[in-house]
Amino acid sequence: MRPLGFAILVSWLSVARPCAATPAPRADTVVVFTAASLALPFRVALDSFARRTGTVVHQENGASLELARRITDLHRVPDVIALADQEVFPQLLVPRATAWYVRFARNRMVVAYTARSTAATRMTAADWHHTLLRSDVRVGRSDPKLAPVGYRTLLLYRLAEAHYRQPGLAARLERRTPPSLLRANASELVALLQAGELDYIVDYESLARANRLRFVRLPSEIDLGDPALASWYARASVRVVRRTDATTYSGAPIVYAASVPRGAPHPAAGARFLAYLLSPAGQAVLRAQAVDALAIPRFVGDSVPAALHPSKR
Amino acid sequence: MRGRGAHRAAATAVVVGSLILLTLLALPIVALLLRGGAAGLAQLGADRELRGALALTAQTATLATLITVALGTPLAWLLARERMPGGAVVGALLDLPLLIPHPVAGMALLLAFGRASPAGAALAQVGLAIVGSRTGIVLAMLFVAAPLYVSAAREAIARVDERYESVARTLGDSPTRAAWRVTRPLAGRGLLAAAVVMWARAVSEFGAIVILTYNPKVASVLSYDRFTGEGLDAALPVAAVLVILAVVPLLVLRSLRGTAALGEPAR
Amino acid sequence: MIEVASLAAHAGAFRLHDVSFTLPRGAWGIVLGSAGAGKTTLLETIAGVRRAAAGRVSLRGADVTHVAPEARGVGIVYQQAFLFPHLSVERNVRYGAADPAHALDIARRLGAGHLLARGVRDLSGGERQMVALARALAPRPDILLLDEPFAAVDPRGRTRLRRELRALQRELSLTVLHVTHDFGEAGTLGDLAILLDGGRLVQAAAPAALFHRPASAAAAEFLGAENVYAGTATPLEPGSDDEAGTMLFRAGSLALVGLGESAAVSHAVIRGEDVTLARERRGLSSARNVLDGVVVEVVTHGALARVTLDVGEVPLVATVTAGSVSELGLLPGSRAVATIKATAVHLC
Repeated sequence: MRPLGFAILVSWLSVARPCAATPAPRADTVVVFTAASLALPFRVALDSFARRTGTVVHQENGASLELARRITDLHRVPDVIALADQEVFPQLLVPRATAWYVRFARNRMVVAYTARSTAATRMTAADWHHTLLRSDVRVGRSDPKLAPVGYRTLLLYRLAEAHYRQPGLAARLERRTPPSLLRANASELVALLQAGELDYIVDYESLARANRLRFVRLPSEIDLGDPALASWYARASVRVVRRTDATTYSGAPIVYAASVPRGAPHPAAGARFLAYLLSPAGQAVLRAQAVDALAIPRFVGDSVPAALHPSKR
Repeated sequence: MRGRGAHRAAATAVVVGSLILLTLLALPIVALLLRGGAAGLAQLGADRELRGALALTAQTATLATLITVALGTPLAWLLARERMPGGAVVGALLDLPLLIPHPVAGMALLLAFGRASPAGAALAQVGLAIVGSRTGIVLAMLFVAAPLYVSAAREAIARVDERYESVARTLGDSPTRAAWRVTRPLAGRGLLAAAVVMWARAVSEFGAIVILTYNPKVASVLSYDRFTGEGLDAALPVAAVLVILAVVPLLVLRSLRGTAALGEPAR
Repeated sequence: MIEVASLAAHAGAFRLHDVSFTLPRGAWGIVLGSAGAGKTTLLETIAGVRRAAAGRVSLRGADVTHVAPEARGVGIVYQQAFLFPHLSVERNVRYGAADPAHALDIARRLGAGHLLARGVRDLSGGERQMVALARALAPRPDILLLDEPFAAVDPRGRTRLRRELRALQRELSLTVLHVTHDFGEAGTLGDLAILLDGGRLVQAAAPAALFHRPASAAAAEFLGAENVYAGTATPLEPGSDDEAGTMLFRAGSLALVGLGESAAVSHAVIRGEDVTLARERRGLSSARNVLDGVVVEVVTHGALARVTLDVGEVPLVATVTAGSVSELGLLPGSRAVATIKATAVHLC
């Protein structure tokens, strides 16, 4: 019934606007912070939303953690924040910056490469880890201290070690990327791969598809892509030590989450955009951009705006 | 009476305008130092990563500056003396790197000198790579800051009348010898100021460097890193310490006035 | 010696065009011309610090057009001296000298010996030029180029420097090319006078010849001839091989007998001091030109007076002593008779 409810909601919104009792004196504005891996899909979605509603849209991209810091430390609050890892919400943003968030898409880890990559012909779904271990290939991944994709890569390695029953595999894979080939977020890895500086990167499938990179699908037991395998993923954990603290991340399906934070300058417009995103129309746009939108978005927390959540949980 | 009133109004305008600009520039730095200065200095002892980043920044910026002074001063001389065919075009081209947004500059460098390019392959032959290396840091600094040096050096040299060199040549000096014995000391103060500007610019660069070399981290990358990973309060001390430490050499250099070695010409 | 053939050069807005002359060894050449005539450009091209666009420069009989300045053995002194500010006077003087003792000796002879230990910043104009000269002479060049070197020096210093320089020039057998816009300086120093106008050579001759027989109206005006008339001439008595013949010159109703060489005469030049004034005509005289006129203006400068007469359609200026003016009672409005010898009427 939910999709129907949303469909009715969206059509009501699009019909209701021209008949609004008090027409807006000028166009609405909405400011959206987007995780790097969602940058392109959200740009398309925002453009589509802007065309439909005449809202002026502003988008800022960055690493998920950096975006969260902008809100908590710099007090720059957007109308919508969309991150690559739902974990960042309970870690940094809930409850001070926001009381709720909605899981709206999922992703999986892949190994991406190009035709120019060394040993490209040897890269297969079954054999990917041997190719990565070759000493003549350059493997890039993200810094686990900064980006979710970073620690997810390490979790992938650990799951692979268990899956293929090769003790020590995770550590060897981890060592294959020296500090000089670490990067801060998922998109920078793509840039280096495209420039030929890297042969292989471990990154999100959505980015690989969006940039038309070659990639291999990894076994679902290890690619953090199947919600049904959540408990299996949870067996792997990685401890990320920063200078002043340390966090332990457990394996979990990769879920993208978004929210309208407290103190947003245009909360109503933010909620409207999010509603659009969660609607079939919005989901179609996301899927066209290789983002695996969840058929049924799930809300976490309370005080969800009425515009998004007609019936109370 | 009217003349004096107008003069006073103009003088006031000058003072007020200057104060506004100085305040605009000083306030953020003061805020930075107040908020992070003490913490930063206190940290220096224990924070090896911070010390390493500062040392790396100083070394790479100095190396970039030395290379630019060595290669750019003769170029500035050629441009100042208008000995270069198409010099106007070259001068305009030299300003281009200043116009390019810094991350774009990093990407351009990647395209030109990355592993997949002919230049990059040649570099690889001698064991040099620009990604993830000090070479990349120096290269990025050079790209964004060298145009500043060459422009300023050109001005400094142009201010030294060419006829000093002409006289030196009639006294037996080759063009290089004349430029070295006469123009260099007379332009010395201007050249030094140009080098200081270049060094400061190199130290502050972030966007172009981070594309090429994320690790090892220079101070600007470290402060961004700490901000993203740990928050504002972790990033500010890094920035504050960088400012404090950079001020010392800048002050020393700026205060070198009228020493015999530089031979400042009479005003 | 210096030989220049069809020399052309540019220096920004200044140009040289087809300049040719020869200055013999040991001679003192004076380059004259108004500002912008190309005098400095000429010197710089001969020194080699400016490249010739066309033509040839020969020094000591050898073609040096493409030789670098440091190899030409030429010294140059600019009007602004261009002493190296970062070096002391002594180091300036010794800059290009292989023999420091000789360099310091030259400095002392030019009167700069007491300045050696000083910096160049607070030297007076005259002192700067002394040092600049010493510096140029220290490497023992045999050719010296001077660009208005005495312009910034006070008159007393100027006289002294000129004397010292002349002595040195004779002693060292220097060939000197000296730019000035002061014709008086030319008269006292020069063996050859080279007049430039608009980058072109107008005339190159001994100063006296230039003075009395300027090759064109422009030259005459530069040299300060008071009377220059435009007109045409027809020959009267032909000249011999090396002398000009007499011609009848007409400018409107004015008729003059003068000396000229070709039929392509367009101007007559008479210097004020060649005009004799009297209150009335007196019998026969050898002078071929006797003109009646009325005094228009009398301007007295010290011992000399400049009297302007109206002799028909044109003015005639005579330079006489102030004493003569008062003796003859020459006042504006009084009649006077001007007498000019044919040899003083130069047709060009």
